[in-house]
Amino acid sequence: MKVKYLIEKIEGEAELEFDFKNGLVDNVIISFPFYRGIEEILKDRDAMDALVITPRVCGICNHAHLIASVRAIENGLNKAGININLTQKAISLREFTLSCEIVHSHFKWFYLVALPQLLNLDGIEKPDNYILKASWASTNIVKALAIFSGQWPHASYAVPGGVSCDPTYEDIIQAEALVDEVTRFVENELIGMSIDEYHKTKEISNIKGDMSTIFDMMSKKNIEEKGKSYDRFIVFGEHQIFQTGQYNKKYSNDISFAHIKEQIQHNSKAKSVTYKDMCYEVGPLARAIIAKNDFVLNLHNKYKDSTLIRVYARLDETLRLLMYMKSLLANLNVKELSCTLAKMPKAFEANGVGMVEAARGSLIHQSIIKDGKIQKYNIITPTQWNLSSGTQKEAGVAAQAMKGSISVEEATFVFRTFDVCSVCTTH
Amino acid sequence: MVKPTKLKILWLQSITCNGNAHSFFSHPDFMTLIQKFEVIYHPILDSAYSLDDVINKKLACDILVVEGAFRETGMQKANQEIYAIAKSYAKKAKHIITVGNCSTFGGVFRLYDTESIGGFCFNDETPNESYKLFKKKLISLPGCPAHPRWIGNLLSMILSQRQILLDNFHRPLEVYGYNAHAGCPRSEYFEWKVDSKNYGYKEGCLFYEYGCQAPYTHANCNKILWNEVSSKTRVGTPCFGCTEPYFPKKDLWHTNTLMGIPATMPIGVPRRAYLTLTGVAKSFSIKRLNEPIIKYKK
Amino acid sequence: MLKAETKRGKKRESIIKAALTLFSLNGFHKTTIPDIARRIGMSTGNIYNYFASKDILAQEIIKYTSEVLGEEIRKINQQDTLSTHEKIHKIVEVYFTMATKKPEMIEYFLRVYLSHREVFVGECDKMICVAGFITEIMIFFADGVECGDLRDQDFFSAFGLFMGYLGGMAFLNGEAILPRALEDYIDDIAYNIYNALKA
Repeated sequence: MKVKYLIEKIEGEAELEFDFKNGLVDNVIISFPFYRGIEEILKDRDAMDALVITPRVCGICNHAHLIASVRAIENGLNKAGININLTQKAISLREFTLSCEIVHSHFKWFYLVALPQLLNLDGIEKPDNYILKASWASTNIVKALAIFSGQWPHASYAVPGGVSCDPTYEDIIQAEALVDEVTRFVENELIGMSIDEYHKTKEISNIKGDMSTIFDMMSKKNIEEKGKSYDRFIVFGEHQIFQTGQYNKKYSNDISFAHIKEQIQHNSKAKSVTYKDMCYEVGPLARAIIAKNDFVLNLHNKYKDSTLIRVYARLDETLRLLMYMKSLLANLNVKELSCTLAKMPKAFEANGVGMVEAARGSLIHQSIIKDGKIQKYNIITPTQWNLSSGTQKEAGVAAQAMKGSISVEEATFVFRTFDVCSVCTTH
Repeated sequence: MVKPTKLKILWLQSITCNGNAHSFFSHPDFMTLIQKFEVIYHPILDSAYSLDDVINKKLACDILVVEGAFRETGMQKANQEIYAIAKSYAKKAKHIITVGNCSTFGGVFRLYDTESIGGFCFNDETPNESYKLFKKKLISLPGCPAHPRWIGNLLSMILSQRQILLDNFHRPLEVYGYNAHAGCPRSEYFEWKVDSKNYGYKEGCLFYEYGCQAPYTHANCNKILWNEVSSKTRVGTPCFGCTEPYFPKKDLWHTNTLMGIPATMPIGVPRRAYLTLTGVAKSFSIKRLNEPIIKYKK
Repeated sequence: MLKAETKRGKKRESIIKAALTLFSLNGFHKTTIPDIARRIGMSTGNIYNYFASKDILAQEIIKYTSEVLGEEIRKINQQDTLSTHEKIHKIVEVYFTMATKKPEMIEYFLRVYLSHREVFVGECDKMICVAGFITEIMIFFADGVECGDLRDQDFFSAFGLFMGYLGGMAFLNGEAILPRALEDYIDDIAYNIYNALKA
């Protein structure tokens, strides 16, 4: 039995076509209806225009696009013989602002996606203040981001060679205060315990606060162990806090852009993407597995790659990032140069790839520049990885995860645990 | 006593990145604001109706907010062309707000196909067919994205029935009457024509060497600040003119010059006046402005 | 700015004009303030009421000549109906007419301003004192590039070509080397300049 469903509020929409057999989801076709053509819009533009245009792919992860974009230019320049060496200050500022965006996105996912969707499954009244919490927490953490980047959304403060800002300790102190406030919120509201206590606890059932509502509902609706896919994970973005590599029954740190293949899908404006012809999962769970996060690995032993661990990894990452952000600020040295590239070369030729970890997973930009102008630009987004239609041999990661769901409601929740971004998928 | 009914707000998206929705969401008083309205549909929040309802039923709506660029055919949601749906709601709505540069002028996404894609009522600066239909109720909030306070204040103005004065693009003058240069901490460097040495310095002007469009961009970013704390020029990024019909221009990080003279002058400043003043400023060298504000000891 | 509209303004202008004539006849160093005073029937002390020193007078003169020439070029710039080539022709005409009818003005620029840099430091540093003239040339160039007639290039490359050319012709004329009257050269010079600068 085929059931069509328009899934919305996923930074846009997607069309799901379920194929039910014996009351269970047997297959899902995911299609995205619209293509905006950012890659074509960039053609023949000045190389640095990408720093302004690519964030416009997405309203929620625009900062990740900026960092991927500048890395693509820098990588290209390095390969062309123009050495770009960032100061630790520039590296730390970029890591800080990127982490702010990831954390803010996870807050929005917990409070505007997970909580309402789960409570809706039982028709339970949503707490009055969940939007307020989402609004407060995300607004304040992006405020810290904006101190250095100028604004959120759509900053362009990362330039080849470093950053355009020149902060003082006053800026850093203001950002530290905001991180502290948001951390306090997380401890009071999201997990109902201090982060220290959290690291001591070894049971999901010990977590309190709003997360406990989410975990309880997942348990109550028997979704915890649903959503298993191929148990294959990949992380491309290089960051001090994450580890690059892949996991497919075993770990490997040796991954290469060369093995990525994108393909046009006939039913959708989104392109599918595979690594060595296989579908891989990206995102917080992938990052936790590749980094060998011990608590996640423990859960993985029991739950494999089910929805529970997917949600849990998102929480764990949020907490780790908050601590990371604090230490980045504490160790910032304002005396270092912000930008070490004295002058952008004119009419240069470069072919560079920039890879970052965005909230939803690995984000890749490739910038091929000739005569200082963009000849070709390619973007591969995290949701493309998770929501590919798959290959001849296998269904896509999320499609596979939805197999066996007992209803459209359950399947769409499994879908949503991948934290889908429709606009990024098609760009 | 009958409670006054809340105005119904319907936020409809077309070819967009969602940036304006997320920008508005980061308004510090978002909850208080949004609860003053009945939200028929919003792209991020839970709303009374699904997108399918919005598209396939004729719902009541007092304030239509549109985000994203439009095309007559080829942009469908729930199997209907979204421009047609938006126009039908626009006919009944009391107020039409185009939020963001894309729905106002076409913006970034218009560049994919300038023949077919444009704003709701303007294609770049040219009014289109819809303009004639809707100009009496139209308010434009261009920006990429629009600042949360521009959106929030406008909604509050509508609620309190205050008079909203508009410019020729229907942009509220309380915001767009200013230019982005007003309030820039680098303005002394602009006055004395001291250009920034490179990216990454708090000192120096970005107008001449770095493409800053603030002196001729209608916006109040450096007055009200972004996210309450910041702005592009404060962090050494030039203004890219995102509230204007021609955004994004080519070569965003370069200042267009005509034989070395900036091609575009600050709003309303004649070239002769600007050049005379610049000539004077350039012939003096102000020591303080050529030194770092803070001299750190190594 | 220096338009002689008041009685004081008119007196000021007459001092400048007398100084220009004398600098042209006898050279900058040989001309003294008393010489200038005698020429217009003013007391030397009174001259000092208008100009505190000969150097300051020299600086004010260059500002004056720049403004006069600048004013002529402004009139040309403001004629929207003229093509760029026609504007070039008119600018050359204005310059050559001035060099012919008021040679002391152009000669002052060539023989005093360019040759006595030590007089023009301080208040007249860089190009501040010739701003009246430079601004109009900048506007002419910017307008020309904007309408697509002139090739976009560095300002000084274009400026050097234009003004260096005109100054050179004025110099040769002053030295009585040119076989024909300066105005006979207007068409050719304008043609050369237009072709060198056009898009």
